[in-house]
Amino acid sequence: MANYSLSLRGKQNPRVVFFAFASCFGCQLQITNKEKYLLDVLGQVDLGYWQLISGQPLPQEFDVAVIEGAVTTEEAAALVQEIRQRAQCVIGIGACALTGGIPGIASDAVDQHAQMVYGEALPAACGDIFAPTPIKKYIDVDFEVPCCPVDFYGFVDVLQRALYGSNKAIQTTSMCGSCKINGTQCLYEQGQICMGMVTRAGCGARCPKLGRPCNGCAGITPDANLESAYKVVASYGQDVEMFKQRLVLFNAQALSSAEEQ
Amino acid sequence: MSKEVLSIDHMARVEGHGQVKVSIKEGVVESVQMQIDEPARFFESMVRGRRFDEIPYIASRICGICSASHVITSLQAIEQAFGITVSERTRMLRELLVYGSYLQNHATHLYVLAAPDYLKQQSVLPLANMDKGLFDKALALKSLGNELCNMVGGRSIHPITAVVGGFTSEPTAQQYLQMADQLDAALEFAKETVDVFNGFPTPMLETDGDMMAMVEQGAYPISLSSRFVLVDSGKEYDCSELHDAIEEYAVAHSGALFARVKESKKPYMVGALARINASWNNITSEAKFAAAKAGIRPPERNPFNNNVAQAIELVDAVQRCAQLCRDLAGDKFEGTTKPVEFQVKAGHGIGFNEAPRGTVFHDLEFDEEGRVIHAAIVTPTAQNVANMEADMMKLACDLAAQNVSEDELKKQVEMLVRAYDPCFSCSVH
Repeated sequence: MANYSLSLRGKQNPRVVFFAFASCFGCQLQITNKEKYLLDVLGQVDLGYWQLISGQPLPQEFDVAVIEGAVTTEEAAALVQEIRQRAQCVIGIGACALTGGIPGIASDAVDQHAQMVYGEALPAACGDIFAPTPIKKYIDVDFEVPCCPVDFYGFVDVLQRALYGSNKAIQTTSMCGSCKINGTQCLYEQGQICMGMVTRAGCGARCPKLGRPCNGCAGITPDANLESAYKVVASYGQDVEMFKQRLVLFNAQALSSAEEQ
Repeated sequence: MSKEVLSIDHMARVEGHGQVKVSIKEGVVESVQMQIDEPARFFESMVRGRRFDEIPYIASRICGICSASHVITSLQAIEQAFGITVSERTRMLRELLVYGSYLQNHATHLYVLAAPDYLKQQSVLPLANMDKGLFDKALALKSLGNELCNMVGGRSIHPITAVVGGFTSEPTAQQYLQMADQLDAALEFAKETVDVFNGFPTPMLETDGDMMAMVEQGAYPISLSSRFVLVDSGKEYDCSELHDAIEEYAVAHSGALFARVKESKKPYMVGALARINASWNNITSEAKFAAAKAGIRPPERNPFNNNVAQAIELVDAVQRCAQLCRDLAGDKFEGTTKPVEFQVKAGHGIGFNEAPRGTVFHDLEFDEEGRVIHAAIVTPTAQNVANMEADMMKLACDLAAQNVSEDELKKQVEMLVRAYDPCFSCSVH
């Protein structure tokens, strides 16, 4: 695997390109936000195309595509597939790309949402819209950097693996363990609803550490046991329906697909 | 000569997706369009039915770099709707968070997005070889803004700690004091930034549009006032009267609604230049000195000078943040930032802030369970884009009359767009 680590173009550094679909651009900004290490990270790659920070046009050939954002239009769906065909390796960054993220909340009735905002005439510039969809629904994603926004070090770790050909395994344990490691008192014991029980670990439980319940931005972990989680929620005297509604925040797409199955 | 359309496809070094089309027929500019094809995410509609305490968290995701402003603006709207009064200390800590985003935004915009045009580079990265000292200092200033947001909000983007009624966590006195020292140390470079941007040659251009900014007697307000002024018309309004002052309208080539002054039908500008024009007297003395040296004082109508205005605000913000940090380390402000108790009830509130890129309004209405029944969000770039287009037209006409090359015309129009520091993600939302 990962033969692109040698780069398509002989001995040159692997060429990396960045793309954004429906998102806040926050994940790309996060990557620029560790200024001290920015050149070290970018020094390992040939930065082929990064619209956010550079006017260089998209090159014909590239090795690694980093993609932020959810797919929300027919035009975007075609583009993300074209990127996949041309890239040796795709890294999805952030909740929007991986779970549909916050834009995914609108996936219940996207046409109605559009009408509410724009009235009858959707501006042509909006394109041919549909429900916000994770890029994984359209293409194979080699590596994932979860969370909203991504953590810089999380991104660097994954980029290293992508460049030098390490494993593609994702974290499957739930976030609860991180609070135990941090010594953070459980937020359920403080009368709050938290998504940590079913959410993918890896962020270090940053929000609970600061007194804020987890909102599930890393996505539901494959190890999650939702039925068991509902029982725990009820055992603390919390409203299970409220828990379910909160879980939709970053997982609207995953939950609606689960229902269909 | 036949009709030509000059295109700047997928404009680089801006947040979000936009393209520029300039139509020229026989040497005369017929039209200029700022096409905003940023994907619409329908925030105003998607928040309907969701509980109040999720709204600031959701609204934050309108825009990565303006996230602190969107959070605070939503919190203000919710607190007004429920009749919650927060402590003075909470208000001041929020102000510090918003100021942190000024440092973050202005340093990023000026050096990473705008400066490469003037240095004739594609990105800021070659500056590391051209002028390592400037490169390091520029990134250090951007980094300081991030650290400040991180210290207060728990994260440099999408703050964690700011919630309805207060903060879930607060920095220690020692953290405040260390940050104050770092801010003091950044003042010299902030002043140098004014000189750097004032030294870049810019076209002569005067906007014909109006300008809007938050105002308060004797202050340079960014989050603590509910009033704004339309600079040219001279009229002052409460934020609840927003739709008496302006109107929004849809155009086919943009996913963002456009805006204009209701009475005069003129487009208008928001952001650093508008603020400097509205509250010039109240910037810090160091900022005023740096501005005077750069020859910037009201009325300043060249939109390219929004860059210099942001640099002046960096000086202002560095000084104010240092003072705020010292005041927060001591006991100057009343109360704590621990979230206050409150009752959820049906209600309506309007949050209003000066985001780094200009005035932002969140108008929220809740049912008795605290779920959103109506939301309207007016962002800085949505307000700027009509004026930006008018200025682009004026500039393109000037340049066409001077017979400049197509490449030069495109380049200068692109630089004008960047001077507005547009955020297309925000504009469409």
